[in-house]
Amino acid sequence: MRISLSEWTRSGSPWVWLNAGAVAISVIMVIGLLGLIAVRGLGHFWPADVVRATYSHAGQQSVLIGELVESEMVPASQLRDSGIEVPEGIDHMQRDLFKVGNRDVTGADFVWAIDAHVTARSYPETLFVAEREEWGNLYGYLRSVKQQGELVAQYNGYEPSADSTALWNELQRRIERARDLHDQIQNIQKGEIGAINYEIERLRLKQRSLELQNVTDPAPYADIEARRAELNAEYEVLQSQLLELNTAMNRDSFTAEVANGSIVEIQVAKVVRAFLPNAMGPLDKIGHYAGKIWEFVSDDPREANTEGGIFPAIYGTVLMVLLMSVMVTPFGVVAAVYLREYAKQGFLTRVIRIAVNNLAGVPSIVYGVFGLGFFVYFLGGHIDDLFFPEAKPSPTFGTGGLMWASLTLALLTVPVVIVATEEGLSRIPRAVREGSLALGATKAETLWKVVLPMASPAIMTGVILAIARAAGEVAPLMLVGVVKLAPSLPLDMNYPYLHLDQKFMHLGFHIYDVGFQSPNVEAARPLVYATALLLVVVIALLNFSAIAIRNHLREKYKALEM
Amino acid sequence: MTTDIKTHAIDISAMQRDQRELCLEDEEITLQVKDLRLCYGEKEALHGIDMLIPKNRVTAFIGPSGCGKSTLLRCFNRMNDLVDSCNITGEILLDGNNIYGRAVDVAELRRRVGMVFQKPNPFPKSIYENVAYGLRIQGVKKKRLIDETVEWALRSAALWDEVKDRLHESALGMSGGQQQRLVIARTIAVKPEVLLLDEPASALDPISTLKIEELIHELKKDFTIAIVTHNMQQAARVSDYTAFMYMGDLIEFGVTDTLFTNPVKKQTEDYITGRYG
Repeated sequence: MRISLSEWTRSGSPWVWLNAGAVAISVIMVIGLLGLIAVRGLGHFWPADVVRATYSHAGQQSVLIGELVESEMVPASQLRDSGIEVPEGIDHMQRDLFKVGNRDVTGADFVWAIDAHVTARSYPETLFVAEREEWGNLYGYLRSVKQQGELVAQYNGYEPSADSTALWNELQRRIERARDLHDQIQNIQKGEIGAINYEIERLRLKQRSLELQNVTDPAPYADIEARRAELNAEYEVLQSQLLELNTAMNRDSFTAEVANGSIVEIQVAKVVRAFLPNAMGPLDKIGHYAGKIWEFVSDDPREANTEGGIFPAIYGTVLMVLLMSVMVTPFGVVAAVYLREYAKQGFLTRVIRIAVNNLAGVPSIVYGVFGLGFFVYFLGGHIDDLFFPEAKPSPTFGTGGLMWASLTLALLTVPVVIVATEEGLSRIPRAVREGSLALGATKAETLWKVVLPMASPAIMTGVILAIARAAGEVAPLMLVGVVKLAPSLPLDMNYPYLHLDQKFMHLGFHIYDVGFQSPNVEAARPLVYATALLLVVVIALLNFSAIAIRNHLREKYKALEM
Repeated sequence: MTTDIKTHAIDISAMQRDQRELCLEDEEITLQVKDLRLCYGEKEALHGIDMLIPKNRVTAFIGPSGCGKSTLLRCFNRMNDLVDSCNITGEILLDGNNIYGRAVDVAELRRRVGMVFQKPNPFPKSIYENVAYGLRIQGVKKKRLIDETVEWALRSAALWDEVKDRLHESALGMSGGQQQRLVIARTIAVKPEVLLLDEPASALDPISTLKIEELIHELKKDFTIAIVTHNMQQAARVSDYTAFMYMGDLIEFGVTDTLFTNPVKKQTEDYITGRYG
């Protein structure tokens, strides 16, 4: 059956196609974006095989050991311009990026190589990778293990054998021992010494505040002095313990032959983990992969954030968003209740509504500047003058911190909560309010006992939108409290546990820092993807929990069918 | 089912006949309306109403839509205060005191003059909490007292047997008729003196309507009842006195039987014989 164009238009199907197309494109873009960051980010943790190859470059041949990271096609003309000989008749050549590590030896841990020039590729099972505390990965052949400079075991071949396995096991045992000691040292440093330092600092502030109050009675000073001596003694004990542990940790070292044939000696204590990627089976690799991902989400960052985990950033993001929600919800709800329930509706309320809506469109950096000027410098400065004079001249609240960041974001998101709450309040059937009033309830009682509970799903909708907006916000945070590396978490075991004045790390800022401020861009790039993926997951989780709460409330306060 | 309804109908007309010897002069007066005028903005909706609501009787208000009967009813517990543009002059005396006086606590007034609305409006809480709501508002804390009052109110609203096993389930799961009786229970739980019913059965099916009507008959022993209804048969069945209103005026007010069988005004006769409205 033939249908004319005008009939087809009239039937409405073009609209259906147009709408469905728009939805489809949106879905594809979202899935594509998520897929891209997931593949790029998660692929980074996979223990790729390490290739050993001969690389001919500028008439010289060298050995190349490393992981293939990516390949791209480059126009031949570009290569010719940079002095590389390209045969006639070839338009494009493949170029590979290898991660060769050994930054301490060669200076650069990534190398671009023309694919055709990399020959004689092999994957020897004895090649090993060592992830180190600093200088990135080490790639090479294990040669010997030493204890206090004395040779314990060695092997000089390139083929796997009983000797090489024995040497490898020796190294693994020692790495494990060194990691154990390392963890102990960390625990003492962060936990006990951290607590002592914290208390000494508090004592110093106490003494300073006594001095500021012109207290002349020597008793409190003596108390402080006595406690300080006690703490110092404790500190000395811990310090000597640390020294012992450090010596024990630095007992072992190993040597390895790297790509250029030279032998390097490295302390076992500097190695986080070592593995033989070419000898690993799929199961080993999956186990290794899971371990790496767990490290990523649960550990502190290393090496200017380009290695290790991002746990403090996750922690900071979640804590900041939760604090923001706790601040924005009551404020927004109270404002909306006044605007909708108490204020006389008229010109003024209309103007205020328009202003609130416009506030939601103000660029977030403006909020950051406002937060810095008003919260940090003005409020924080005055709080310091009034409550923390002893800490001056170093600021307590007079500098960016968790509280000001949460407050700034609360300000940023309050219009969303106000609008959503107003919407919810306006949808409560009049009959229900009248029912409550007719029973002798006052307006306030009606609000608290009937109207607000019924409007709670709408309020939660506002909070969900606020979370979605706040969790992804970076620009204002850079001005009011986010740092690239925070020495301690803002919620810990030291009284008063929640440190609102402390600076914190944030996933969004972490992406910016790692991706664009990093000294080692190639190494950091996969982490940008991984961190972005994690940020999406964190926001999604925060949102899903809020949505779950809302659905529960919706079920409970099902609106009447009016 | 049909036979059920018939027997009920006969019962009610029998009850109606018991009370023929009514006379307004003999009644104790609960509410007295004096020259009540009400304006919404510029528009006057009630043009000077004078009437009485006798104690422990059912007074019905009938009249075509928009005649002001609901508006008048809402004046009795000052529900019209909620409308910004509403302006009221005149007096309504509850036991001799003007409810529009300066010192009147509106919340307390509304506790004394309870109201049931056209559509059931239970709160999204449990059945128990719905009935206990008014008590909690008054600050009653004793659980035993609340329990007893809830049971009494539900029994009085002829709902106890249906819901006693699911007191703590949501009230929104009940049928419309049950919800309306729950609202009545909720209203009488605070022991008001007057019960205002604003077309309480108009959104219900015939059986639920019948139950509500029986309930009204029971409740008038304890409460003074004023009911607005569109349904003249219902007014005739449940009320002792009837007021006919038209265009914001009280046209005729008298004993129900007399008003329906022998109306004084022609407008009343036209209305009850179905010539308009």
